[in-house]
Amino acid sequence: MNKSKKKWRSFQEFLYILPFIILVLVFSYYPLYGWVYAFFDYKPPKPLSKELFVGLKWFKSMVENPVKVKQLLGVLRNTFAISGISLLFSWFPMIFAVFLNEIKCVPFKKFVQTVTTIPNFISWVLVYSIAYSVLSSTGVVNTILTNLGVIDKPILFLQSAEHVYFKQWLWLTWKNAGWAAIMYIAAITGIDEELMEAARVDGANRMQIIRHITIPSILPTYFVIVMLNLANFLTNGMEQFYVFANSFNKEYIQVLDLYVYNLAMGSGGYSLSVAISILKTLVSVVLLTATNKFSKLVRGEGFI
Amino acid sequence: MKKRAIALVLSMVLVGASLAGCGDKPAASTNAPAASTENTGAATTDSGSEASGDTIVIEVYDEAANYQGTQIGWFAKVIKDRFNIELNIIAPQVAGDAVYQTRTATGSLGDIVILDPAHFSDCVQAGLIKDITTELKACTNLMDYDKQITTYNNGLPGNTEGKLYGIPCEMTNTSPTSFSDDVVYSSPMLRWDLYSGIGAPDIADLDGLIDALKAMMDANPTNESGDPCYGLSLWPDWDNNDGMIGIANVAQLTTWYGEKIKGSAILKTDDTFVPLTDKNATYYKMLKFLYNANKAGIVDPDSGTQDWNAACAKMSAGQVYLFWYSWQVGFWNTTDRLADGKGMIFTPVLDQYYYTTSDTYYGSGRLFGVGAGVEGEKYDRIMKFLDWYASPEGLEFQHAGIEGFNYTLDDQHKFTIMNDNALMDNLPVPEEYGGAGYSDGNNAINQWIVAGISTNPLSGEGYSNTHWSSWKAATATKTKTEWGERFSAQEPVDWMKAHNALFVRPSVSVSLPSDTADIEVIRNQVGQEVKDASWRMIFASDDAAFDAMWDEMTENLNSLGFDELYKFDVDKYTIELKAMQEAK
Repeated sequence: MNKSKKKWRSFQEFLYILPFIILVLVFSYYPLYGWVYAFFDYKPPKPLSKELFVGLKWFKSMVENPVKVKQLLGVLRNTFAISGISLLFSWFPMIFAVFLNEIKCVPFKKFVQTVTTIPNFISWVLVYSIAYSVLSSTGVVNTILTNLGVIDKPILFLQSAEHVYFKQWLWLTWKNAGWAAIMYIAAITGIDEELMEAARVDGANRMQIIRHITIPSILPTYFVIVMLNLANFLTNGMEQFYVFANSFNKEYIQVLDLYVYNLAMGSGGYSLSVAISILKTLVSVVLLTATNKFSKLVRGEGFI
Repeated sequence: MKKRAIALVLSMVLVGASLAGCGDKPAASTNAPAASTENTGAATTDSGSEASGDTIVIEVYDEAANYQGTQIGWFAKVIKDRFNIELNIIAPQVAGDAVYQTRTATGSLGDIVILDPAHFSDCVQAGLIKDITTELKACTNLMDYDKQITTYNNGLPGNTEGKLYGIPCEMTNTSPTSFSDDVVYSSPMLRWDLYSGIGAPDIADLDGLIDALKAMMDANPTNESGDPCYGLSLWPDWDNNDGMIGIANVAQLTTWYGEKIKGSAILKTDDTFVPLTDKNATYYKMLKFLYNANKAGIVDPDSGTQDWNAACAKMSAGQVYLFWYSWQVGFWNTTDRLADGKGMIFTPVLDQYYYTTSDTYYGSGRLFGVGAGVEGEKYDRIMKFLDWYASPEGLEFQHAGIEGFNYTLDDQHKFTIMNDNALMDNLPVPEEYGGAGYSDGNNAINQWIVAGISTNPLSGEGYSNTHWSSWKAATATKTKTEWGERFSAQEPVDWMKAHNALFVRPSVSVSLPSDTADIEVIRNQVGQEVKDASWRMIFASDDAAFDAMWDEMTENLNSLGFDELYKFDVDKYTIELKAMQEAK
């Protein structure tokens, strides 16, 4: 009697998570079926059943000649550079949150937080139109510089291939910093107030409290976020780079996701781009398990 | 316990909601909105109404459309009154090309489809297009174009029984070899007042054109509101389109020397093909022209980063002094500006030989078809709609607009234009014609079965306003008369004919093989390489850098499989070339 009641209860509890299992199956596992396209000469509108099975042809074609290898290496370089820079500066939102937390004037604090969070909700297409009106040859920056007599010919900011990685990081930070800081602000709120008070009694000044209490307390949060980012190393998203890309900076801005998009959507190289994304997924899985191992080694605990 | 039950119900709702998105579209969208049916009864007086039963929503998969969604405004009212249908337009140009792949995978592309030739013949072979032979034969207006329709369909691969699937677009009722327009699709056009302001000099070649533009720019560095002006303003978002590899702007300019880009090949005037990468051919020549223009400082510095909308805004504001598409003048030439002598007009460059195709008697390429799954009442109304779409009444709406708003008729059925800025300024349309702005309510299919140069049997003149005698009389103002005196010709094409500078290729309708999966990938990668290198070359710092980039590009192209692509394209377009030679 008791046993069957327990069984019924565990079944009931299973029902609670069932919707999420279904969601994951439908939206995360079912799409994996699409991988079969990498092994066919797929071309719409013919259904897959009428297409030719080609085995690993598309995987091989990625590296079949030096130009393509060079292209792929360039794309990987960009992906690593851009991900690397964001990883290198990943402490920025944390520090931002810490300093934000130190502002004592509440209205000002709220104002800063709102202003830095809002860009997160602007789409990249709009970000580009902002960038265009600010940085084009007749944009605000060039107009001011020309009027001040600093330059006599407009600088083509958007067209230049210099410092692409850094500039893209700046845009990303402008868009995301406020949003990313929210997690840290929550972590800071969770710090035991007694710790701070004890430190103050012991004569610690503001900077010392930050250094010895606030930051160490939110480091675990920081590490989890960094680890997750590391596992997503190959995924920069494509929207940002798609809108900022042009023929002049493409060599440096084309990241893996954008490369896949350009191949597939440019004129339907579906099979090849599926093949590339399969490789990407495999590398990401390896990265994820590797960082998890690393985390276990260093911190004694993993995150998956 | 109660809480648990609620949680259970809620989670079920969540699953239900998340799965609903995967199913068929909700039935509601196929029903007519109740509100819009009420005015049908009142408004059908003048139309010989065939409207009956429930409103049917027709899905139009339209590769020509620039607008996605339900047709609104005056054109929506015109077809609702006649056929009681609404058009739901699916536009890959808006939604992205991936919509083609997803919709063909479901087996239904749309009720009416408008496709480019390669897609059309693929879809016929995949069984997505309906055989409309019997019903088409009963369409009296479409049967005026029987010869053209049959010619196209007989050329479809695998169509040995002569069934009819597609209706070509932009057919004419003139002849396969005549050229009826007054302007060609692409030619250099300059602002007349500024060009005559520098003395209207003879322009011998492309260098002369740069000099003239530079002089015009130096004399008029800004427009009336003080914004900087440029000789040329380019835009990158049309590159690698329309079956031409490379920068769209450059590809179009090659026709100034009689050559035409066909994929990765260039068709020369002597009927031979050369690769796009041939240094003696026009792609290189026109790229060099743009590079020289940039060196001379007359190219808009934002050319490589702006989109068409930004470029178009500059054209409408008078910031651009050279146009090259015949339709571009629509963004600047108004009756007032023409009368003030400020119109954009063809300016001869003496060493040029302008390429054009003859009247698109056999159609311009795209095809209308009906989706394979369409049956019954819907099919019936679609065929009636398509027949009307090719009728004089339908064509007057498509090419000239609404009587009483866009034009008036005299007792000989001759047209006179009114509200000629209706499209440009999106003038509000009176409620009796359907309301909304004129441009908003304009035919969003954006593709015609019969071209505007065709002769309207009711008036004896062409359908579109530039072919009306009243229009010609009204626009024979300062720009046109001064131009005529300077170049001793009535119209641009008259000048070209008189100076042996017009090269007319017959327009033909043949079905061409579509790319294999391999070729598609090569074409894509080659196209991107050419596009990127070309833009960098236009903005190159000096001649040496320009040539170094060109050499690097051709080297990279060889590794990407350019030779294979070129061979494929030559084979493909030789079919078309043969048809042209036969049509002569």
